[in-house]
Amino acid sequence: MTELIKEEKIKAALEAKFPGVISNAAVQRKNRVWLDAAPAALPEILAWLKAEGFEYLSTVTGFDEGENLGAFYHVNNNSMVVNVKVNTPRAKPEIPSILSVFPVAVSYEKELEDTLGIKVLGLPPGRRYPLAEDFPVGQYPLRKDWKTEDYLAQQAALKTEAK
Amino acid sequence: MKTIDKLITWSLLKSPWILHFNSGACNGCDIEIVDALTPKYDIERFGIVLKATPRHADVLVVSGPVTRQQAKRLKTIYEQMPDPKFVMAIGACGCSGGVFDGCYGVVPGGLDQVIPVSVYIPGCPVRPEAIIDGVVKMIQSVEAAAK
Amino acid sequence: MSKITIPLGPQHPALKEPENFMLVLEGEQISGATVNLGYNHRGMEKAAESRTYLQTMYLLERVCGICSHSHTTTYITNVEELAKAEIPQRALAIRTLIAELERVHSHLLWLGVAGYEMGFETLFMYTWRDREQVLDCLELLSGNRVHYSMNTIGGVRRDISIEQKAEVSRRIKFLEERTRYYIKIGTEEPTVAARTANVGMLPPAVALERGAVGPTARASGIARDVRKDEPYLIYDQLDFKLITHNTNDVFGRLVVRVLELVESYKMIHQILNNLPEGPIAVKVPMKIAPGEAVNRYEAPRGEDIHYLKSNGTDKPERVKVRAPTLANLQSVAYMLEGGWLADVPLVIAAIDPCMSCTDRASVWDPKKGKMALYGWEEMRKLGIEHYKKRGVNFSGL
Repeated sequence: MTELIKEEKIKAALEAKFPGVISNAAVQRKNRVWLDAAPAALPEILAWLKAEGFEYLSTVTGFDEGENLGAFYHVNNNSMVVNVKVNTPRAKPEIPSILSVFPVAVSYEKELEDTLGIKVLGLPPGRRYPLAEDFPVGQYPLRKDWKTEDYLAQQAALKTEAK
Repeated sequence: MKTIDKLITWSLLKSPWILHFNSGACNGCDIEIVDALTPKYDIERFGIVLKATPRHADVLVVSGPVTRQQAKRLKTIYEQMPDPKFVMAIGACGCSGGVFDGCYGVVPGGLDQVIPVSVYIPGCPVRPEAIIDGVVKMIQSVEAAAK
Repeated sequence: MSKITIPLGPQHPALKEPENFMLVLEGEQISGATVNLGYNHRGMEKAAESRTYLQTMYLLERVCGICSHSHTTTYITNVEELAKAEIPQRALAIRTLIAELERVHSHLLWLGVAGYEMGFETLFMYTWRDREQVLDCLELLSGNRVHYSMNTIGGVRRDISIEQKAEVSRRIKFLEERTRYYIKIGTEEPTVAARTANVGMLPPAVALERGAVGPTARASGIARDVRKDEPYLIYDQLDFKLITHNTNDVFGRLVVRVLELVESYKMIHQILNNLPEGPIAVKVPMKIAPGEAVNRYEAPRGEDIHYLKSNGTDKPERVKVRAPTLANLQSVAYMLEGGWLADVPLVIAAIDPCMSCTDRASVWDPKKGKMALYGWEEMRKLGIEHYKKRGVNFSGL
C-alpha cells in the first residue's frame, strides 16, 4: 500500500542496521511500527531512531508477561510512533538506562523500578516515583502476582475517633 | 449556652471560614469548589471565606479520595483545627472513595475512614449549588443544636 | 546546595512533605531548580486490569477533571482499534465537538487562573463567569458540567438535537465576542505584558530536548499538535490553524491559548453546521481480541498518549496513561532557573499543570542559611507585591 511507505522504510532501515538484535518488526497500521529488541541494544537503537527524527520519547510502558517482565519505549517524530519492546527475565529483570539518549526519561525509568521491580542499569539513585515514600520496599504493584486486596487488607486502619 | 459558645456559634453561622484540602482529587470537584466563588454562584455572599491555615478554619472541605500519603496530613490538619469544627466530604470520592475505591493508593471507603465527617455532598463532581446547599444545611444544623 | 520543592498537598507550613520542586535562591533569583514527582498516585493502571473495558473508561475519565474527555477518547479509540470497530461519522463528529468545547473551558479556566496568579482578579472573575457558557453547553449535551462521559465503546452515548445545536452555537458566538476582549487584554495591556514577557523562558532547543508539548511547546515556536500531526477523530476534515508564537515565555503561552480559543470556536461552528447523519454508536463485543494499540490526542495541555493491551477477555491486560503535564514538568525546572522567586507561581501555572491549587514552595537561602516555607497564597502575594513596587499594578483594572 502506498500509504505505508514511510513506515516500511523505517522498519527496513532498522532491520538492516540492527540485524540479529531486533526481531518481529512490523508495520501495524499507518504511523505505527512495532519491534522487539535485545535490552543491551536499547540505548543504541533509540539513539539511532532519535537521529532519524524520532526526537520525542512519549512514554515508557512497563509490563509483566509472566516469564518475562519488560517495557515498551514509545518514540515519535510527531506523526509516526515507533514502539520498541524489550523483554527481561523475571528472575533477574534488568534494562539499561536510556538517559544518555533521552535525559527526560527519568520519571519513566523510575516508574519501571518502582511499580515493576525492573532494575534500570545506570539510573542515578534518588527519590522513588510514583509510589508513596512509605510504600513497602520489595512490593511491585504492577506485577500480575501482586494483589491489591491483599495489600489493602494489610494496611493499618487510619480512622480518627470523633471527639 | 455559655456566652463564649454563643459567640463562636454566631461567628460560625455568620461567616464560616473554610479550609480547602485536596486529598488526591482529579481536580473535578476542586474546580467546582473554586467555581462556587465566581459570580454565577458567589458563595462569598454567605460570608464564606477561604482560609489558608487550619488554625483559622471552622470548616474543612475535603475533595478527592484520600490517598494514603494525604491521610496522615489530613489527620494532622483535623487535629489542628480548633473546636467547634466541621468536615465536608466533597463528591463521590469523599463519600465512599468513588471510582477510586479499590485502587491501591487510596484509603478504602472514603473520607470518614480517616476523619469524622459532618456533611457528605455527593456528585462526580459536585455541583456548586450542591456545595452551597451542603453549607446551608450544615449551618442550619448548628443553629438547631444551639437552641 | 539544598534544594527546595513545591509540594502538592496540605496547607500547613510546618508539615514536612514530599515536595515537587526544589528551588535554591541567590538573593531573589533562583539559581537552581529540580523536579520531584509523585503525589497524586492512586493506582489506576492496576485497577483497570480488574475492571471491564467500560468500567475502565469511567475510571480513566477521572485521571483529570479538566480534560476528562481527552482520556476517555484516547482510551476508547484504543479499544475500538483492537475491536476493529468502524465508528460512525456522526459519533466521531460529536466526540470532536465535545473535545473542542473541553479545550475552550480549559483555556478559559487557565486564563482565569493565570490572571489570579498575577493579581488580576477581575480577569479571573470574568473568564470564569464566561466559562459558565461552555459548562452550560456541555451540560446540555451530556448531562454534566464536568466529567461529561459522552463516550461509550463504539460511539457516543447521546445524540444532539437541532435545538441543542442552536443553543451551543448561540453561546459560542457570545464567547467569540468576549474572547476578542481577552485577546486585547492579553496582548495590549501593559501590566499583563510586564508580568508575562520574558518570564519563564524556554528556548526552542530546550523545549525539544525536554519533550515539551501543547501550548508550552507551541509558545516556543515548536509546531507540534497531534490534531495536525496525526489527525484523529474528524480533525482532517476541519479547517483550523496550528497556533504558535515565538517569544518562548509566559506571554507566548497566553497568546497561544487565547488564539487557540478562536480556532476552537471556528471548529465548533464547522462541526455544528456539517454534522453527518447516521447512528451514534455501533455495537462492540464485550470481549476484545488480543492485541496492542497506542493512540494519541491533543489535550488542552498537550499530547496525551495511551497504550492498551487486550487479552481476549472483557478486561484489559494493561492500560498505560501518560498525561501531558508529566511531559511539561520536565521543562519547568529550566524555566524557573535564573528567574525571580516572584515569578514562580506564574511560570508553573503557565504550563497549565494538572495539580491541586494548594501547592506550596519551600525556599532555601544559602547565604542566610535559612529554609523558609511559603504557602502558594504567600508566593502569589509576594509576586504581586514585587511587581507593584515596580509599578505593575492590576488594582485599577
